[in-house]
Amino acid sequence: MVANSGRIGTVTSPRGDDGSGRITVHGLTKRFGPVSAVEDLTFAVERGTVTGFLGPNGSGKTTTLRMLLGLVAPTAGEARINGLRFGELPHPARVVGAVLEAQGFHPARSARAHLAACAAAIRVPDAAVGHVLTAVGLDTAAGRPVGGFSLGMAQRLALATALLGDPQVLVLDEPANGLDPEGIAWLRAFVRGFAAQGRTVLVSSHALAEVEQTVDHVVVINRGRCVHQGPLARLRGRPRVLVACPDPARLAEALTKAGLGEIESRRDGRLAVTGADPARVGDVALAAGVAVHGLEAERVDLEQLYFGLTAGAR
Amino acid sequence: MIAALLRSELRKTRSTKLWWGLLVPVALLTLLVNLFGGVFTLALGAGPDAEDRLPLLLASLAYSLALAATFSGVYGAISAAGEFRHRTITTTYLTAPGRGPVLVAKLLVAAGVGAVYALVTAVVGAFGGLVGQESTQFPETGALLGVVAIGAGVCALWGALGAALGTALGNQVTVLVLLLVYVLLGEPLLSLLLTANDSPAVAGISAYLPVNAGEVALYDVPARVLVGPADGAELLGLAAGVSGPPSWWGGLLVLAGWAAVTGALAGVVGGRRDIT
Repeated sequence: MVANSGRIGTVTSPRGDDGSGRITVHGLTKRFGPVSAVEDLTFAVERGTVTGFLGPNGSGKTTTLRMLLGLVAPTAGEARINGLRFGELPHPARVVGAVLEAQGFHPARSARAHLAACAAAIRVPDAAVGHVLTAVGLDTAAGRPVGGFSLGMAQRLALATALLGDPQVLVLDEPANGLDPEGIAWLRAFVRGFAAQGRTVLVSSHALAEVEQTVDHVVVINRGRCVHQGPLARLRGRPRVLVACPDPARLAEALTKAGLGEIESRRDGRLAVTGADPARVGDVALAAGVAVHGLEAERVDLEQLYFGLTAGAR
Repeated sequence: MIAALLRSELRKTRSTKLWWGLLVPVALLTLLVNLFGGVFTLALGAGPDAEDRLPLLLASLAYSLALAATFSGVYGAISAAGEFRHRTITTTYLTAPGRGPVLVAKLLVAAGVGAVYALVTAVVGAFGGLVGQESTQFPETGALLGVVAIGAGVCALWGALGAALGTALGNQVTVLVLLLVYVLLGEPLLSLLLTANDSPAVAGISAYLPVNAGEVALYDVPARVLVGPADGAELLGLAAGVSGPPSWWGGLLVLAGWAAVTGALAGVVGGRRDIT
């Protein structure tokens, strides 16, 4: 695996891109009329890693991925793969493969014919069709019309399509949808193996548990904005302080001024301050002259934190 | 680049039934039209005293080619808009270096299918004509090949025009309804209104509408063969329902212009469309 990790990107790419396997998103914004779907989103995905792109349904994940893949035009900002915008990639399917939601197939076309048409477009030999069919376990169904496929089979075919160009970067939008537990386990192993070859994976999900075992990094978005990004380990370990306070607005203001900006109001009226310790919160409250009725250090589990980050989605 | 996308589009075409599903009615209509003589036969009254030398087959063939052109347009529209209906356009765009080349490949393949429709029409039409119009002389090879070649051009242009329209609108039902209503109803009505105008300039516009331009191209040669070069234009105007028609190559150019404009529209609209 280590030996493999240097295989891609160490030489100048023959594809005309920088061969870095890097995804960079900078100031990405998309507004549909008055509705802001994605707002000033900035993150990077490094080669050899699996990055989870998390957020509730409707938080802008799909729109972001579609902007990354040149399917939706950003209102502002840009997204690059291997240093180029998708539209500038001379051989896009050999750089990035994608499994997107609502990616369709002609119901009367067989899986093999679908892949053959794609293989022609991306200029890979027809033998690649057989390889990817085997890779996703669709050999036996290859000749059947896709209209008769189950959701899980269609998802496998979408993955086969994404892999056809032997891409360096894989973008998966809610790939577990429609897969049975066995399929999900298979997908996890596949994604880990793919990244272990020094390639890049960006996988979106609305459920952290779904990708928790797979990802190294997370980018969490809510209402189109990035609310957290960093290594999964950091997300896991971040402490929180719960403060009960008669004047939460003033305390929140003081905490923000003191650099403890990750504050949220909880249903029970307490403030949850992420990335702080109780002593620091107490000091800030004292300095601001705000009464504190309770201070509690909390080590949230991942799921809880995720819910906290994405609260108020609708 | 285009060659790879052409291959891809051809594979897509061959792996679904649409192209030959539309070819069946084309062939059947062609057979009927040429067996029974078509509009020209009716218009000119090919009775017992009609001149034996009238190569009516040329005219009925041109009429069948005009029908085939409509089917070519329908093929282009359905196939191009079908990518949006089945959401396969996402994969198509993900596997292609830009949307422009995809559009060009689609237009070319739809044009190719149109040309195939024209060739099948020619073969079936000539067969039907030989069987059904035995009293008339088989037309000269030159004129026959001319009509077939022009027909291939008209059908190819309509195929491309349909595909461009399908890409621009992106909705199968919308494009199909719009195309058929315009071809079957809209343009004939518009032509009637235009040709009824007293000003020759306004009436002359009728020949420059897309359906009429294709028919002008198709009926020019048969009209001249039937009634001679002098009265050919008048018969042509009558047959195509236009006033002051250009010659066949003029008609082809006009239709090519319409296809180019629609293609440019598809390039702009399709190029900016968000695929969500």
